[in-house]
Amino acid sequence: MFDIAPDHAIGLYAGLLTLPFALLALRLRSAARGVPGTVLGASVLMAIAGAIHLGLVWTHRGETITALLFVMNGASYVVLSQLYTWRWWRPASVALITATLTGYLGYIVLNFDTPDQVAIATKLLELTTLGLVLVPVRGETLRRRSRWSVLSVALPLMTMVTVSVVWIDDLARPDAQHAHAGAVLQATNDTASPEQVGAAQKLYDETVAAIAPYRDWHAAWAAGYRPGPQNTPSTHWMNQRYVDAGYVMDPRRPQGLVYANTKHGPVLIGAMFQMQHIGQFGPDPGGPLTAWHQHQNICFTPFGVEFSLMTPTATCPLGSIDISVPPMLHVWIVDNPGGPFAVDIDSKVVKQIDQG
Amino acid sequence: MLLLMQSIFWVIAGISAAPFALAGEVFMAGLALLTLLLALGTCMCAIGVLWRRRWARTVVIGLEVACLAGSAVLLLIPLGFNRGLVSILVNVAVPFAVLILLRKDREAFS
Repeated sequence: MFDIAPDHAIGLYAGLLTLPFALLALRLRSAARGVPGTVLGASVLMAIAGAIHLGLVWTHRGETITALLFVMNGASYVVLSQLYTWRWWRPASVALITATLTGYLGYIVLNFDTPDQVAIATKLLELTTLGLVLVPVRGETLRRRSRWSVLSVALPLMTMVTVSVVWIDDLARPDAQHAHAGAVLQATNDTASPEQVGAAQKLYDETVAAIAPYRDWHAAWAAGYRPGPQNTPSTHWMNQRYVDAGYVMDPRRPQGLVYANTKHGPVLIGAMFQMQHIGQFGPDPGGPLTAWHQHQNICFTPFGVEFSLMTPTATCPLGSIDISVPPMLHVWIVDNPGGPFAVDIDSKVVKQIDQG
Repeated sequence: MLLLMQSIFWVIAGISAAPFALAGEVFMAGLALLTLLLALGTCMCAIGVLWRRRWARTVVIGLEVACLAGSAVLLLIPLGFNRGLVSILVNVAVPFAVLILLRKDREAFS
């Protein structure tokens, strides 16, 4: 959802290239004089949307129906972008935009396509165009009230539905690298080879042995580890010296330790290796068993150190900011259903430790 | 129109925090409420701009300048702020466009 699909990039270039030509067309046409700004704005946005759809024809030429729909849709947008003086321009534009939005949602629900940045940006463009087409202009008396009513209901509703469907589809059908919401997993081979299984076991054994002294949290404190906020069942204790030094997957110097916050005090449940830079995944000796993960597009708030997920429209709740953190790899030294290198510790495991 | 879209984006952001608040993130509940109030305020300002109210224009300009400044800071500092197409459109292009549209006809507002 937050990437640009390679076969959609051409649509973006086509849209950007069209912008100056659409503006030029408005300037050159005498009919554009006296036409309200909202109509002209809609004309430019429709020309861009048309170009995006026409641009996508080339990369979808292997899918006959989709390519045909792109041609029809793109051509209709381009034609309507120039017909703004036509009597039926508004109804025709509303029908085309609504049909395009509905069709796209149907496409992704039926799993014919997956949403990406070009698709979401195009949908936002179309929704804005819909608003510009619906908004009554000065001096217009015919159906003014009903147009305002439609605008105030239809636009928010269509935007909410579009964004919700895109988001639900993305969360419900993630690809292998986005199986964990809010994180991207390192690309690996599908099945671990015997050598990778052995390497993963070696890393696990070395880490368990190396962090054993930190079962006593006082030793961790003395080594420079400091806890983050403790209002959650488990807490990461980070060693800033090791983070700054940039040790790479060194079992004797893990950047973080993870403690369960129990009524008996902190109980060591794992270690965490972290790279220094965003996008820089660490070595992966165990293949799919030891894939690193990078938390990205999460909305972080310093108030209580809480998280939520960034929306498809790239917004976060007020008071929180969108951040990504460098790749990390956990090594869980307690029995974790997800495995010893899973992205997260199972909350039931932490609960059991607390009760035990 | 852009203000209405912006308001809808904030409604979505506010609602998106609700599941996390229900899962025990208490501060997120407050932030969700604040975000929904911001969305409501933006919508009211949009109506104010439509009615050519000077207070609405002033508030909107302040809001958009704050949005642009916040986005600029987040784009400059290495926190991993999303630099995707949608993020640039929503967090930079929309506030910028609103400022451009409100810049020229100050006299039209009372």
